[in-house]
Amino acid sequence: MTTTLPQTGTVSPATRLRDFAARTPDTIALREKSRGIWREFTWAQFWDQAETFAHALLASDIDRGDRVAIHSDNRPEWLFTDLGSIAGGAACMGLYPTNPTAEVEYLLDNSGSRLLIVEDEEQADKVLAIPTSDLPMLEKIIYLEHRGVDAYDDPRLMSWDAFMELGRAHRSAHPDAVAERMAGAKPEDLAYLVYTSGTTGPPKGSMITLANLDYATREIAGDQGIVQPGPGPDDLIVSYLPLCHIYEKLFSVVFNTGAGVPIHFGESLDTLVTDMRDVQPTIVQGVPRIWERIHAAIQVRLASASRLKRINAAIWMTSASYVGNTLARREGRHTAVSRGLTAIGNLFLFRSLKDRVGLRRVRYGVSAAAPIAPEILQFFMSIGVPLHEAYGMTENCGVATTNRPGRIKLGTVGEPYPGVELRLDAETGEILTRHPAVFAGYWSMPEATERTIDPEGWLHTGDVGEWVDGTHVKIIDRIKDIIITSGGKNVSPSEIENTLKTSPFIKEAIIIGDRRKFLAALIGIDFEVVSEWAQRHKLPHTTYRDLSEKPEVVTLVQKAVDAANQKFARVEQIKAFRLLTKELDHEEGELTATQKVKRSVVEKKFSDMIESMYR
Amino acid sequence: MRLRPGLVADYRSDVAIFRSNVQRFWFAVLLVAVVLLGLGGTLPLIPGLVDFSLTGDLLLIAVSAVFASIGAIGLNIVTGFAGQVSLGHAFFLGLGAFTGAVLGGSEVTRQVVDLSTGQFVEKTLVVGYQLDLSIWLPAAGLVAALAGLIVAPVAFRLRGLYLAFVTLGLVFIGDHLFREASILTGGVGVGRPTGVPSLFGFRFDQDGEFFGIFLEKEQKLFFLGLVLLIVLGFVAKNLARSRVGRALAAIRDRDIAAEMMGIPLARYKMIAFVVSSFYAGVAGALLYSAIGHLEPGTFNLLLSIEFIAMVLIGGVSTVSGSIMGAVFITFLPKMVKWLAGITVFGLDPFFFISDSPAGGFVNLPQMELILFGGLIVVFLILEPLGLYGIWIRIRNYWKAWPFSY
Repeated sequence: MTTTLPQTGTVSPATRLRDFAARTPDTIALREKSRGIWREFTWAQFWDQAETFAHALLASDIDRGDRVAIHSDNRPEWLFTDLGSIAGGAACMGLYPTNPTAEVEYLLDNSGSRLLIVEDEEQADKVLAIPTSDLPMLEKIIYLEHRGVDAYDDPRLMSWDAFMELGRAHRSAHPDAVAERMAGAKPEDLAYLVYTSGTTGPPKGSMITLANLDYATREIAGDQGIVQPGPGPDDLIVSYLPLCHIYEKLFSVVFNTGAGVPIHFGESLDTLVTDMRDVQPTIVQGVPRIWERIHAAIQVRLASASRLKRINAAIWMTSASYVGNTLARREGRHTAVSRGLTAIGNLFLFRSLKDRVGLRRVRYGVSAAAPIAPEILQFFMSIGVPLHEAYGMTENCGVATTNRPGRIKLGTVGEPYPGVELRLDAETGEILTRHPAVFAGYWSMPEATERTIDPEGWLHTGDVGEWVDGTHVKIIDRIKDIIITSGGKNVSPSEIENTLKTSPFIKEAIIIGDRRKFLAALIGIDFEVVSEWAQRHKLPHTTYRDLSEKPEVVTLVQKAVDAANQKFARVEQIKAFRLLTKELDHEEGELTATQKVKRSVVEKKFSDMIESMYR
Repeated sequence: MRLRPGLVADYRSDVAIFRSNVQRFWFAVLLVAVVLLGLGGTLPLIPGLVDFSLTGDLLLIAVSAVFASIGAIGLNIVTGFAGQVSLGHAFFLGLGAFTGAVLGGSEVTRQVVDLSTGQFVEKTLVVGYQLDLSIWLPAAGLVAALAGLIVAPVAFRLRGLYLAFVTLGLVFIGDHLFREASILTGGVGVGRPTGVPSLFGFRFDQDGEFFGIFLEKEQKLFFLGLVLLIVLGFVAKNLARSRVGRALAAIRDRDIAAEMMGIPLARYKMIAFVVSSFYAGVAGALLYSAIGHLEPGTFNLLLSIEFIAMVLIGGVSTVSGSIMGAVFITFLPKMVKWLAGITVFGLDPFFFISDSPAGGFVNLPQMELILFGGLIVVFLILEPLGLYGIWIRIRNYWKAWPFSY
């Protein structure tokens, strides 16, 4: 495979894709579920589409280093755009499908994108709502879905098919043009602009180079990478996290072009469970929220099963918790007893349980992008889903530390990759990393870049960490999120928040307490789960707000809070909480596109509620 | 993808009869079990094998059950798949039976005195051509299908209760024709010999060796029926999952909507009737060849209702349900008899069922009728999907394991 290539020289993802198309043209590279069946793309077809896209870029006078933006849900065209742009020498910039018009304007303007791919009428409407004069750089808007958009008469609009037709014409006129572009690519060339989610300020565009990607490919998807034995064409990955985020790119692009793992696109995010069940992926990437939701769904559905099934589940979940404790103690390695219990439990419960949620054939699962509660990790390990926590960020191309199979320390984010230099700042405890995947800087923000990468090449992550047993890294929290109570105690809110979120009833938790006399929490309930609970307890309710205000629900959450408090020292215990009366939302600015809470916005919006707790 | 039944890459595998090797495996297991049922003790290869084979009258009932299954599948095509209630199934069964008998059965003659000459002469009472099974069996199906084709135009214009009434009329017309055409049917109370199940000289109705294995005639007939049932069952399943099947389902669910979607109602209703009648014809010809004798009074409304019961109790618009229903209904008389004979602590809980036709509160045939009616009512109210529905529920219980939905 590509990993046997000499360690010198940068290989771009587009080149890797072309190599796969040459070596195994008829093997499946992508699958997309559409109208009930999984439509397949071979490597040859994949490369043909990407190459045609690259030709179309050349035909549209896109120069090396120009930005091409795409505003779409995950689908094969996303990868055609992504790899076609790299082949054509352009940098691909993705927008979150949930980005509202104002953010679309900011991102297009800040990146100076010349071309925008929009998925459908919804995304087209967002960009067309911006006056043409405000986006002077934007020349073409290419739409994938015709419905509704065909009727628009903006001169910049062009259909995907027409655009690809340009590419085909260009290819027959200049058959070698793309190959020449690719041959002229340099390691420092820009591959992606990846905008950080921006929990504090406006999003910043991280410049990811071909060299960054190449290094990340070798560390992550190589034969000595995170998946052991090395990943290959027999593995399957479902692409569902936003593709504009570096995390999904590591899986949908890096594992695909780096190791030949076929990527699967489901029908939509709403059908994720069905799609996962169809595909039964072997490698699963998830953010804590996803793992929490699967965990909650399993708990709720086991609890609402018929009697015999409940008894069966109770027996084997008890066995599983023993297995989980053993695995946690032994860094993820089985004993003969735990292996035996798992094997028997598989027959009665785990195998079918995992099959229902699409995790039956997982050989490597990973949680990253935000801290996850160790209880969740242990739960999945105990039922036989090898879940590992890893740590990385856009600015280091997602490459920093990971827990390795058999060397798992729960509560840590694992060990640095072999080629990663990682140290803690002596004064602040901030984690610093240095390796070839550290980004080239923020797009058009030299001061911000200077603050982040020091002259010696160390990336300042903004996270405070500590060493565990000298090998593993534990993240305390974001530097700026650490709460100092009026008593002078340092408290890491995310740890408490995640413990709260292990309760299936709690979806959102925000700890308050900076310069206050005790800790308090704003808690958002999980509407689906609590609603189901309310129905079982014959508690009539209507909206989210109505349900949140029920005293019975407050009591329910109080129990979860009490349980969480058991695990913490007195100063870290939550003395008061209020239930949010609305679901936090990206469009209303309370969450980032990656569903992270914007603390400052929430604290301002719910200030009355917060004050009421300290009165 | 073998390990991932959900990862279907084309519609062909999406509608495949066997969607996984697990299904293939269980079908094979079932098939082996059924073959052993018929073969069991006579199997010389495995001495000492626990003999759970059917013998005697049970085997004969099993033969009827297999043939009835073919007829039930036929009724399910028109009533289940296409939703056109047909009470006329007995008519098509009868047509097939008599066609088979005329073409495959022997002639019946009698010595009569010619009054003018005073001599004994041969008089043909019932015609019969003694043709081969390979001719009379398809012919039985085709004649019934032809009748279906003729009746179909009436069915295009009607649905529901009205269609039920028209097809009910068929039974009476048929009954009259069968009674009167005594040269073909032998006449009421007399009857005639059926078609001889002889395929290229191989007699299914006589004991004999088959590839070195000695088989009783019931066993031979059982396997003949089994082969035909498998073939015709798969044909029906393929019909159901094809364009025709989807069109029929659309017509069943809402004929006006189906027509708006561009489905020609007339053509598809006709296909349903013709195919259904073909199955009925084949089933009818075989059903009575096992007994060897055929009587025109058999093909009355009761027979139609028996088949409706098979479909409703077995499971509407499923092939496997039709078979379950046919087996259940065919074995019902035996079960009733068994019930009547049962004693608990010296008491007879079913004392009201009498063995003799005259005595008791109800006799056996009456009890069967009551049970038919009762079972149809119970199934329609409690388990509209029939035995198949019960099976589906059991299957879903395990399919959803460890959850409940």
